[in-house]
Amino acid sequence: MKKQTAEIGTRGVDRRAVLKGMGGLGLAAAGAGIFGMPKGASAAESLNYMCWEGYNAPSILDPFQKQKDVSISVDLITDSAGGFAKLAAGASKDFDLVSSDSPWIARMGPAGICRYIDDKDFADQYAEFYPQFRAPFTPLQFEGKATGLPTRWGWVGPTVNTKFDKLETWSSYAPVFDAAYKDKICLLDWGDWPIMPLALYAGVNPYVALDQAALDEVRKVLRAAFKNTRAIVADLAIAQKGLIDGSFRALIGGGTYATSSLRMKGHDYIQSIVPEPKNGLKQGIIWMEATGLIENGRDSKVAADFLKYIVSPDVAKQLSITEATCNLVPNQKAEALFSDAEKKALQMDYMWEAWDKSQFHTVAPNIDDMLAIWQEELAAR
Amino acid sequence: MRTDSKRWGDPILVATVAPLAIVMLLFFIIPLVMTVILSFQTTQFYRLSWTWDLKVWTEVFSKPHYWTIMARTVAMALVCVVVCVLIAFPAAYALATRLRAYNAQIQILIIFAFLTDAVLKTFGWILVLDKSGVANWLLAHLGLGPEALNLLFTPTGTMIGMVYGLVVYPMFTIYLSLARIDRDLVLAAYDSGASRLRAFFEVTLPLARPGLYCGAVLVFVLSLGAFLEPKVLGGGTSPLASELIRQSFETRVNWPLGAALTLVLIVIGALSLALAAVVLMRGNRGRTVQ
Repeated sequence: MKKQTAEIGTRGVDRRAVLKGMGGLGLAAAGAGIFGMPKGASAAESLNYMCWEGYNAPSILDPFQKQKDVSISVDLITDSAGGFAKLAAGASKDFDLVSSDSPWIARMGPAGICRYIDDKDFADQYAEFYPQFRAPFTPLQFEGKATGLPTRWGWVGPTVNTKFDKLETWSSYAPVFDAAYKDKICLLDWGDWPIMPLALYAGVNPYVALDQAALDEVRKVLRAAFKNTRAIVADLAIAQKGLIDGSFRALIGGGTYATSSLRMKGHDYIQSIVPEPKNGLKQGIIWMEATGLIENGRDSKVAADFLKYIVSPDVAKQLSITEATCNLVPNQKAEALFSDAEKKALQMDYMWEAWDKSQFHTVAPNIDDMLAIWQEELAAR
Repeated sequence: MRTDSKRWGDPILVATVAPLAIVMLLFFIIPLVMTVILSFQTTQFYRLSWTWDLKVWTEVFSKPHYWTIMARTVAMALVCVVVCVLIAFPAAYALATRLRAYNAQIQILIIFAFLTDAVLKTFGWILVLDKSGVANWLLAHLGLGPEALNLLFTPTGTMIGMVYGLVVYPMFTIYLSLARIDRDLVLAAYDSGASRLRAFFEVTLPLARPGLYCGAVLVFVLSLGAFLEPKVLGGGTSPLASELIRQSFETRVNWPLGAALTLVLIVIGALSLALAAVVLMRGNRGRTVQ
């Protein structure tokens, strides 16, 4: 799963690797002195944190750093799969914590990248969550053991500008294939995000193992969608601009991740909904981010404390509303901290209806086949 | 008279060459070798598996869509070269001849535009090319009707972005060639009865060839790696090789496939340049014989 709000501009710069290399040459200390970089160099402990943007906000990290006398170094990820691959390739020994999309966090337990947590140690945190997220929380479990805690969530469904379209029009993905909407649809190029809802519309459940016939159906539906699509864009700002000015009538594959920040800025006519079930398949998808403790041999207590901290009500509220995106959080106690305008922007009045009409996003067994089909159809477009 | 030693054992020569050689070894040769090695591995459950087999190469050579995108990349690069040269040559000619008085100021302006962040420039084009953008606003005011242009999220949009980003290279290389031309040679051609056009084709253009070739090669090589423009301005209508490689590495987490496609692109680029060099050498030889 992929969200690219920060992709351009951060690509290819691995600060950790650069510093490591400098350290090897004995230059890191000199460099730090010259550029005044490691602010927390005198802190008692340090944490290395791989996360999405938003989790690194100073308003979130600074209080914890002061309170625990700890220095947190952040490595922003731009792609969940890429973050997983980096950790799996050996970087895990350099990190203490990771915040990423839940399917990838869930995989990190059995892959030996993250350590399992004991739900009892986090009983107080679970008690503050909405019932849907309380222990045992199966989406993050493997053989009864949990990897990390949920931190943010939302749903994937059509994002619509209600100035141009009625919401009812998008109670199905049918307009994506309707000639009346030719060159008015935008697919978000976020890895598997746009593929899954279109597969569901085609009557294929992408979260189970697929045979060739099912993959052929996925190919057909992608081909048909591409025919009608004006643009496939990865940048959220471009997609949002088109949606506001009406050049895109709907964004497919973004859902609340593409909506809430616009609504927070006053564009409350932009909404993300979940289509009605079709062919016995729920058409919505619940995405979730989670934070896990990395298995690096240190078994850091302060890392576990950070995990409790990041899901606490006050921090959850801050994590919910960031500069780039706004998302729901699993902490029920945090709900009281939101103003009515913020609740409206986050579509809180609709969230449980969306939940009921959706299935949980996991790593699909045939995801590589589907991504290959996406590439092939894109090339033939 | 002292003759400079050119033996490889010469310590001064070694000391001079060593820094560049080390940099090239560390940051080009070794990564390239690692890329080759990587392309013979496989991935399982998003983790690299050291298996030494040809699975990835078999996929590369059996799936036509990879080659469709590679061919499109080369075609776009060639078109970009032609358009850039066609725009750059008259501009460089004007700079070297008619606009000499404002030469420094114009060059500074061009350099400013060149040094502006590529992301900023590419996203800026959205405001120009969008249906409700500046270009359509101007055309509507000229009486051409609303939304006369539909260039955003098209291959043409990609090409506009590529040309805008790269045209400065041939502009400067051609300018440097033109600026070195001895004006007396052109005057001699006029004295011999040549028209302006003939003098241009017989004297100026041949003498500007080194800068022209150099600019064309730069544009071609950089076009092969164009990433931002197809992604931002193309809107998925003209996916090029760099996006294919990014998808393989990042979205599919298939590093061996990404490595293999990278090598394919490098080979295509090298072969294209070698072919161009052969053609040009033959052309030069032909002219020398005449």
